This record gives sequence, C-alpha cells and structure tokens, in this order.
Amino acid sequence: MSACGVGHIYGERAAVADVHLDVVAGERVAIAGPNGAGKSTLLRMVATLLRTGTGTLTVLGEELPGGARRARCGIGYLAHDPLAYLDLSPRQNLQLYADLFGVQDADRRIDDLLERVDLIARADDPVRVLSRGMAQRLALARMLLHEPRLLLLDEPHASLDAAGTALLDAELATMHADGRAAVIVTHEVERIASVADRLVVMRRGRIVVDEPVAGRGPAQVRARYEECIA
Amino acid sequence: MSMAVNRPRWTRQLAGLIRKDLRLELRTKETVMAMVLFSIVTLTIMQFGFGTRDDDLTRFTGGLMWVTLAFTAVLGVGRSYVAEREQRVLDGILASPVPRVVLLAAKAIAIVIYMAITELVVIPVVGIFFVKGPYWDSIGWIALVALIANVCIALSGTLFSGLALFTRARDLILPVLFLPALVPVVIAGAGATHAVVGGPHDMSEYRGYCLFLVGYAILFLLVCIATYDAVFDD
Amino acid sequence: MPSSTTDHASRRVIGARAALIWGVIAAVLVTVASVGVFLVAPEDADQGVIQRIFYFHVAIALVSLVIFAVACVAGILYLRTRNVRWDDVSVTAIRIGMLFSVLVIITGSIWAKASWGTWWVWADPRLVTYLIVVLIYAAYFVLRSSVDDDRRLRYSAIYAIAGFVSVPLSFYSVRIAQSFVHPVVFTSGGANMPGSMLIWFLISLAAMLALFIALLEVELVGRRTERALRALSLRLESS
Repeated sequence: MSACGVGHIYGERAAVADVHLDVVAGERVAIAGPNGAGKSTLLRMVATLLRTGTGTLTVLGEELPGGARRARCGIGYLAHDPLAYLDLSPRQNLQLYADLFGVQDADRRIDDLLERVDLIARADDPVRVLSRGMAQRLALARMLLHEPRLLLLDEPHASLDAAGTALLDAELATMHADGRAAVIVTHEVERIASVADRLVVMRRGRIVVDEPVAGRGPAQVRARYEECIA
Repeated sequence: MSMAVNRPRWTRQLAGLIRKDLRLELRTKETVMAMVLFSIVTLTIMQFGFGTRDDDLTRFTGGLMWVTLAFTAVLGVGRSYVAEREQRVLDGILASPVPRVVLLAAKAIAIVIYMAITELVVIPVVGIFFVKGPYWDSIGWIALVALIANVCIALSGTLFSGLALFTRARDLILPVLFLPALVPVVIAGAGATHAVVGGPHDMSEYRGYCLFLVGYAILFLLVCIATYDAVFDD
Repeated sequence: MPSSTTDHASRRVIGARAALIWGVIAAVLVTVASVGVFLVAPEDADQGVIQRIFYFHVAIALVSLVIFAVACVAGILYLRTRNVRWDDVSVTAIRIGMLFSVLVIITGSIWAKASWGTWWVWADPRLVTYLIVVLIYAAYFVLRSSVDDDRRLRYSAIYAIAGFVSVPLSFYSVRIAQSFVHPVVFTSGGANMPGSMLIWFLISLAAMLALFIALLEVELVGRRTERALRALSLRLESS
C-alpha cells in the first residue's frame, strides 16, 4: 500500500493531515501515538471505510476510492469490535463472511479456522454468550478467513486474551515468508519490538517518526517513543 | 498460501446476507412479532377512530388496511439495520467486497418477506373485522396488489432507513422521511383494494392502480441503484 | 497563495454581480406582471376578480417543479463531484421551493374559498399534491439538521433525488385516485385561455422564474461569503 499526502477532516478539524506512508510486501508496520493522534482514522481510510479528504491512497495496487471493491478482497481488518452478529453462532458468522468474500471450500476452511482459534467447542453457541476474549478470537478467524494479503489491526492486543495474542503473534511471524503485509495500530509500545519491523509515530494527525525497529528491545522502543511524543 | 484473489459472486453474497437476516429473525422473532401485533392493535383502534362499535366500515376497508400496513411498514423498516448498528457489525460488512446494491437488495427482500407474513394475518383479519358483503372471493386480487406494494415499500423503505441509520433521533427521522413517500402507495393500495371489495369488481380501476405501483417500484429501484453506493460511502 | 485568494475574491464578486442583475430583472418582471394581472388582463366572466390569483397560483406551482428539478440535478452533481458548491445550490433551491409550495397552497386555498366557499378542498388535486410536496421537502430539513459533516451533504443530495422522484408519484397518484372516483373537473384551465390571458400568464411565469433565480443567487453569494469568512478566521487562528 502507498499513501501520499493523505488527509481527512472531521468538520473543521483535521484528524489526519498530509500523511506519507509506504508499506511493501512482507513488511509489518506499527503505528503508535497518543489518543486522538489519528491512528485509527488512518487505518479506517486504508480499510476503505473512510474516504480520504486529500491526497491519494493506493491499497494492493488499487487506487481508492475507485478500486475499493477489488482492494477489499485482499484486506483483513481487525477492529475494536468483533464485527460479529451476537445472535448468530461463530460458525454462522463465518459462513456469512465466507459468502461475502467468496471463500472457496468454505466449510472446511471455517472448521479449520475455528480449530485454530480454539472455538470449535463453542462453534454453535450464540456469540452473545461468549467471553470478550473468545469473541475477539472469532474476529481473528474472520480476519484470516479469506487469506488477506494486507492485515490491518486496530489495537489487537488490547482485547485479545493470552491465547489470541499468541495466535496473532504466530501469524505475524510468518508474514515475511509469504510476502503479506500488516499495519498495526497499538498503544502497547513494548510489543512493537516483537511484532513489527518499522515504527511509525503519529501526533496530531501527522507522522513525526518513521524508522526501522532494527533489533531494538521493548525498553529501547518505549524510550524512543517517549522521546518522539515529548 | 495462494495469492489469487477470490472473485466473490454477488448471488452468493445476496443469499448469504438474506440467510443471515432470516436466521437472526428466527432466533429473536422480534420484528415480525412486533409487526403483526402492531397491525392488529391498529386495526382495532381504527373501528373506534372512525365510528362506534355499530358502524359499518366496509366502504373504508381499503383505506383501513393500507393505513395500517403503511404504519406497520415504518415499524418493520425501522428495524432493518438495528442488529448491524447496535452490535456494530456494519464495518465488517462494508469492509467486505460486497456491492452496496446487494446490501440494499438483501434488506429489501427481507422486508418483503416480513411484510408478506404480516399481510397473511392482516388481510383475513380485515375481512373478518370490517367487511359486510363479498370479500373472500377477491382475496387473490388483494394478495396480488399487496405483493406489488410490498416491493414498493421495501425499495423506498430500505433507501430511507439507510439514510436514517446514522442520524440523531433516527427513530423519529425515519417516519418523517418515509411516510410522505408512502402516500402514493397508500392511495394506490387502498384504491385497488376498494375496487375489488364489497360490491361489483372494477377491474380497469384495479389494473390502473397496480400499474401505478409497478411504476413506483421501477422509479424507486432506479433511484436506489443510482444512490445506494453513496449512502455507505463515508 | 495570493493567486488563490484573488481567484476566490473575484469569483465572489462575479457571484454578487449576477445576483444583482437577476434581482433587478426579477423586480421589473414581478412589477410588470402584478400590474398586468391586476389592472390590464381581462376579467373572467364567471369567477370575477378572484380569478386573477390563478396567474400567480399556477405560475408558482410550475416554477416550484422547476426548482425541485434544479435541486435534484444539483444533488446528482454533488454526488459525482463532492463539491460543496452543488450542495449549496441544492439546499438553497429546496428552501425556495418550499416557500413557493407554501405559496401555492395559500393562493390555492384563497381561490378555493372564493370559488367553493371552503379553505380546503380535497377534490382539488393541486392543493393535495402540494401538501404532500411540502411534507416531502420539510423532511429534507429534518434530515439535514440531524446529521453532520460529509454525511449531511451526502444524505441531503440523496434525499433531494428521492424527493424529486416522489413528486410526480404523488401528483399522479392523487390524479388517478380522483379520476376513478369522479372525472377530473378542475383542470389547470390553461387549454382554453384566451390570448390576452395567456400573455399575462406567461409573463407571470417568467417573473416567478426570475424571482427564483434572483433568490438563489443572493443566497449563494451569502453562503460563499460565509464559507470564505470561516476559512479565513480558521487560518488566522492557526497562524
């Protein structure tokens, strides 16, 4: 994906302004920043859920908004909310998304994923009765369902339980090999060292730092982040 | 891991969305139950609103039926996006490669089904409550005009419920948007029903109203196709 | 930066000049039409002086349809270009259209009182249609005031289109309902108008059209100025 001078304005306040960001295949980019820095807004624009006000945004080779529908086929989006119907079961939710994304051999793929996120025993209970961590693991399965080439994660660690976090980290670790990319918006700066290759810090809608993580440990990343937003 | 992007077929997307809506409705049974109860209560109120317990309202059968169905439609259409909004699923649907018109079609078909179930109750009840004279032999004609009107209601209703979705006080906004657009449907539905109930049938009149409803449906279909992309284009 | 500012300023001046010109044209035409309709045009044999309200009643009704068509086209153009200027045109047109529709109802009501002795006649298709039209477009403002930012402009544009489709549907449904119950008696009366009446009718029509354009231009100048002012104050704030 490639963003060039991208911005978005809510009313008369610019939530994101003049952002330039390129993410190449196999790269994992972490976006950090204080509340209201525009991280989630930027992610929603990349997820084709919000139009760019200014600049051009290209995702998976498709320029938005014109190519949004083709781009959506290759995007996996993990939001704060599980994006699942509470009165349907995990399996029924995944069936819906399999239909929407045109997933081949859907039943096998769904069973496979439910197994991986350890929900197969609860596959037919309504999502309403599942715990928050379970629902978020379902969201993880939903995100991976159509084998997306670009993962967009909004605060993934805030709502995932330990099992979910381990799964996600394992998934992110394999991304290099098969040329998929990820953008991770996060508060938990310490985690960046283990899940991302690049650190981007946003402040008041603008990118203030964009540099490789390059083997820094959690404490060093935290120190660097504090320095950036000071 | 394959790099080939799946090309989702819209027929499968549509079927998936309708199946989802019907599954939700089967589990909760909220919408249809409320619509049926509401319509019967409204019909009961009508008798006292228009006369005393003794007055013969046969003449007003069409009007009573379609005013009731119009208000019931507002109720049902207002429930269209409740699950998506309250459970915050809409982002997930919108982030998938589904054409917005397919979303509209799925919601519209669900509304047609809910309205049809409601009419299954309302049409006989109207006959029992209000009509003195022939009614049951023309029930096929009433069902036909109801079916056409349902398509009209579903198309305009889905468009307006999409507009009301993110407004403040949306439960008030929807009737204000939707009811004026329903006036022609009520006029034509009541007129067509009137033409075949409680006396000699006037088929040319009936046909005229039905054709008008078909025209209404086509016009709103075109508007929906032209604008629905923009409804969800944030 | 200086070039864009002058560009902006000059455009605003051009808009103001157009508003002024149309204002003068409208004033002249409305005066001519009023004088003609009330003093020159021949008196109707059956209805007497009250028939003179017909010139304005029908002219306003016809022009209001044009206005809503303008709003609909501006809505389509807004959705295509996402340029806020088209939203300005759309909302202003609907505001004026509402004014005209209310005038149609008032003049029609006066006419009904004089002809049939009651202020409201459900048998008059024009009165009933315009009542529905007023309800349709009143909802536009309710919708507009309950959403913000981008959505407000987008939803307004969509509703301007859907509303305009509802107008002929309402008109036609009222008409066919009437024609089945009893044949339409009250036609617009345009078909069998003598030439001297027709001329004054056409002048009234032109006057109302000019009035609409003048009102539109004035309002648009106001809106553009206001927006430019807000942008300026925002820039001053941030610097």
